[in-house]
Amino acid sequence: MISSDVIRGYNDTIILYLLIETPSYGYEISKKIKQLSNDRYVIKETTLYSAFSRLEKKGYVESFYQDKSHGKRRTYYRITEAGLAYYQEKCQEWEITKNVVNQFIKGVDEEWKQL
Amino acid sequence: METIMNYLDNMFSRLPNTKEMQGIKQEMLANMEDKYHELIEAGKSEHEAIGIVISEFGNIDELIEVLGVVPESNQEPVPTLTTTEINDYLETNKKSGILVGVGVGLIILGAALLILITQLMEDGYIQVFEGRMVDVIGLIPLFLFVTIAVGMFIIADSMMKKFSFTQSDFHIQLHEKERLEQENQQFQQTHVRTTITGVALCILAPMILIISSVFHDNASVYGVVLLLLMVTIAVFLFIYYGRIKEGYNTLLHLEEHAIPKKVQKKEDKVIGAVASIIWPLAVIVFLISGLVYHQWHINWIVFPITGLLFAMFSGAYSIWKREG
Repeated sequence: MISSDVIRGYNDTIILYLLIETPSYGYEISKKIKQLSNDRYVIKETTLYSAFSRLEKKGYVESFYQDKSHGKRRTYYRITEAGLAYYQEKCQEWEITKNVVNQFIKGVDEEWKQL
Repeated sequence: METIMNYLDNMFSRLPNTKEMQGIKQEMLANMEDKYHELIEAGKSEHEAIGIVISEFGNIDELIEVLGVVPESNQEPVPTLTTTEINDYLETNKKSGILVGVGVGLIILGAALLILITQLMEDGYIQVFEGRMVDVIGLIPLFLFVTIAVGMFIIADSMMKKFSFTQSDFHIQLHEKERLEQENQQFQQTHVRTTITGVALCILAPMILIISSVFHDNASVYGVVLLLLMVTIAVFLFIYYGRIKEGYNTLLHLEEHAIPKKVQKKEDKVIGAVASIIWPLAVIVFLISGLVYHQWHINWIVFPITGLLFAMFSGAYSIWKREG
């Protein structure tokens, strides 16, 4: 299970990625995150909705009401042009971040034992 | 499910009761319900399912930070309504609705009786009084009815006094809110039906007047009486069912309750002040034109005209005030 502290800066990216395919609502998104991460990351309700409200305020997503196929009316979110651009930016940022952090990561198996 | 609702209520109790907040709370509840049902279906026990759902809720401070809201702990706490308070409010609101509806109906009936009695005497069906008494006798039931009606208005008003919480902010627990939303939805149909009936009565009423005037000149006066009777029924329907609807709107924070309370209060005051001048004025015009100029057959039109003008004024004033 990944701690929410580690992944914090990329919650918005994860949500935007899932919205590129199709508009979606809260629970569906949190379920997809769980599935795609093989149960290793479960996003909290409050994290999800603070992300929605942040993304909406910045104009990266738009919300609208829609009835679920069976049952209640839910708030759906769709990604905007600006959101897509922001997502690509974040992807590049992650590439760099990943490379930088990797510079400081030892191969756990061999080198760690030598210390 | 009750546990989850209570948990959410607690979590949000510190936060201001804004539309945005309510929306988020509602969405979260729906998510948590979905998650709960799926866990149960997957074979988890009720306790386990609730445990998982609550453990995956997160930290409310996260939301507070993003939304930039100030927790209300240092302000006056917003009261949460109990089931008894809610039911008592709805019940009393209904009763006061009957009182106001019947009261307004009585006033219109009084006017109808005045016209009827005057005409009956003119036609010679009643021959008791002479001269000017003819005009006065019809006024007795009118004044009587108006007095009773005013009494009913005062009682209705004082009945609602104890529900001062509707004037300020309040919380309603989620399961109560769900119940009220269901009730409101069911009531919607009744409301539409009674509104249609009322409007139909109002449209039919003048037609009766037109038809009756074809037969005989004096028949049109009786037509007016019939018209007023139909309007009485329509007005009662509008007031009584409108009142019930308003009750749900108040509790569920719908429509006008989304408007800041201060603006609304100021509006109510000005509109109330105008109403207290314009309506007695209409009555004076009605009485003078009747008693002095014997225009009973037509002067009732003062009331619908005043009503229309007043509705136009209060509508326009509200819009103007809100835009400003």
